[in-house]
Amino acid sequence: MIVVNNLTKKYGNLEVLRGITVTIEKSEVVCVIGPSGSGKSTFLRCINMLETPTSGEIYINGEQINKKDVDINKIRKNLGMVFQNFNLFPHMTTLENITISPIQVNKIPKEEAEKEARELLMMVGLHDKADVYPGSLSGGQKQRAAIARALAMKPEIMLFDEPTSSLDPEMVGEVLQVMKDLANRGMTMVIVTHEMGFAREVADRVLFIDEGLILEQGKPEEIFGNPQHERTKNFLSKVL
Amino acid sequence: MDIYIKGIQIAYSGIQVTLQITIFAVIIGVIAGLIVALGKMSSIKPVKIVFSVYVEALRGTPLVVQALIVYAGVPMLLQKYGIAFKWEDPIIASILVCGINSSAYVAEIIRSGLQAVDKGQMEAARSLGMTHAQAMRFIIVPQAFRIILPPLANEFIALLKETAVLSIISVVEVTRKSMLWAAATFEAWPAYLGTAFVYLSITIPLSRLVAYMERRMAQSDRSK
Repeated sequence: MIVVNNLTKKYGNLEVLRGITVTIEKSEVVCVIGPSGSGKSTFLRCINMLETPTSGEIYINGEQINKKDVDINKIRKNLGMVFQNFNLFPHMTTLENITISPIQVNKIPKEEAEKEARELLMMVGLHDKADVYPGSLSGGQKQRAAIARALAMKPEIMLFDEPTSSLDPEMVGEVLQVMKDLANRGMTMVIVTHEMGFAREVADRVLFIDEGLILEQGKPEEIFGNPQHERTKNFLSKVL
Repeated sequence: MDIYIKGIQIAYSGIQVTLQITIFAVIIGVIAGLIVALGKMSSIKPVKIVFSVYVEALRGTPLVVQALIVYAGVPMLLQKYGIAFKWEDPIIASILVCGINSSAYVAEIIRSGLQAVDKGQMEAARSLGMTHAQAMRFIIVPQAFRIILPPLANEFIALLKETAVLSIISVVEVTRKSMLWAAATFEAWPAYLGTAFVYLSITIPLSRLVAYMERRMAQSDRSK
């Protein structure tokens, strides 16, 4: 479970987050939507401390993570992250990309890590790509490999930062399908996305963030069907 | 014709010293350069300043002046304080001077190599629970190494040529050999043509190798 309390983030004088408060339950799928520069990516990156909050508290399973003496590496093991630009390690094969962290961080024997990695590759439909380098994968394949890599650490929570935004349109579907499967298995997911159709179909809850605040939130049918706030209506009219 | 071959042979007889100095200097340069690069990237202000000044000072003065300071200046300074010190062999002083000099350039090569790795790589590694040190070791350094290798080889080539100035502190390397022979025989033209030939015989294959490495890197970048 993720609890965020009055989270703010400033870069110099620029206030990107202006007090975000939200609770995300176990197995909940939350999609975060909003205009570019609204702070939705920053919000997501604060959840695993890739950005350091300026003020406010973030709790993962009851433990506050933005404190000095917290072992953030231990907490991050429980928080898988998928990036817009994949960020696969280009000097390693797909299999090595997936096994490096289980082997080095979790100290799992190589054979076991590889066995689990092959199962994950099977799950994301890349079982025949284990021994190739990311350079020879398509965008959609790269992102599915990146999802498998994050899953290899057996996280309870998965964070997705615009996972389909740098994909060619014909590859968006295969990535969303993998994410849908994950959601159906009960994974807790926070997804920053511009895929409104996906949000409507898969999300338990949609957050609309604008200018560093959660302006509106609710079930997808409420947000998309009957938005209350003027800015939400305006945004949705442009993207739908 | 024979005189030209003789000129090459004379210069060539200094090659061992030239290579010896260059190779050991580069080894010192890489080890010290790594420390300097990390120091320059340190988040501790005073450390950063000290190493930045070190790099500026070394890059802003000619190698020949640095050689004179170490070879002639340092023993004098020590003698002033009653420490009897004299360089046993100018080669040792040369290796030291070239190594220190090279460390400043190598540090910049390493620093820019590390910074050239996409910052998403560090983020991905950290998001997988790796510590900063693990991320550097498994993810950043192996990628930076490929970026660093060609300019590092170029630094080796540059240093190899630079060692010619060591003739001024009486190191009998390639250039000095030719100078001595030219002085004795008045055959300056074949002597120094021979010197140039010997340097080229090393630098041309090496720069071919660098070009090859750069081509291969460009290819693997395209397939990223």
